Amino acid sequence: MSTPETTTVHAQVPTRLYAEMEELVKAGWFRDLNDLLLDALRHYLESHRPELAERFIRQDAEWGLHGRD
Amino acid sequence: MAETERVAEAVCDAGPIIHLDELSALDLLEDFSAVVVPEAVWHEVEHHRSGALQRGRAILQRTVIDTEVDLVLAALAQKFSLGAGEQAAIQLARQRPNSILLTDDTAARLVAEGLSLVAHGTIGILMRAARHRQRTPQEVLTLLEHLPERSTLYLRSKFLTEIIQRFKVEHRL
Repeated sequence: MSTPETTTVHAQVPTRLYAEMEELVKAGWFRDLNDLLLDALRHYLESHRPELAERFIRQDAEWGLHGRD
Repeated sequence: MAETERVAEAVCDAGPIIHLDELSALDLLEDFSAVVVPEAVWHEVEHHRSGALQRGRAILQRTVIDTEVDLVLAALAQKFSLGAGEQAAIQLARQRPNSILLTDDTAARLVAEGLSLVAHGTIGILMRAARHRQRTPQEVLTLLEHLPERSTLYLRSKFLTEIIQRFKVEHRL
């Protein structure tokens, strides 16, 4: 599979937050800081795609109200 | 449970476990015939809200998935950037026909839809609780109204109001 095209972003992170990120990497939750940041960004962007998320939640509401299981 | 018999098995992703626990409502999963939690999801919940696993110990079944590589899912997981937990939950749901996938992850829902899996999330489980008489409609309404303060499940304020209104109209509240 091909590697997706990437862009390098420089950002300033509060020292305390950075330390927490490093702890997560050390604990083995992420391969490296890059992996952690990608995961965090992906989840943020997902949660801010309202049309799609809201379509699924409307389906949930219908299931909750009128589903058969 | 009143109107319906015990229903399908649920395969649970981390989101609903965490969000329901935040609302002290993990018991709403009790009437599924089983609630299976893949190892990767278990670790995720353990990391973010370990108490939920303790509180849900009578309901949640830690499950090792069949390690056979699911090529279709692997390709979709990469395309939609699924996390390990979401991917494992979808894989387990695919291995267990007639199960319901429980997830609040939009990308996971999208992949599940593409694979013709039945998937629902926390809002559906909450609303279902009134239909199954696990909670009164008023109790469910209170849970929905307190979602922003009590849960990390993010819903746009106006959209939550719309959902709550839908529930109120249905239950004449």
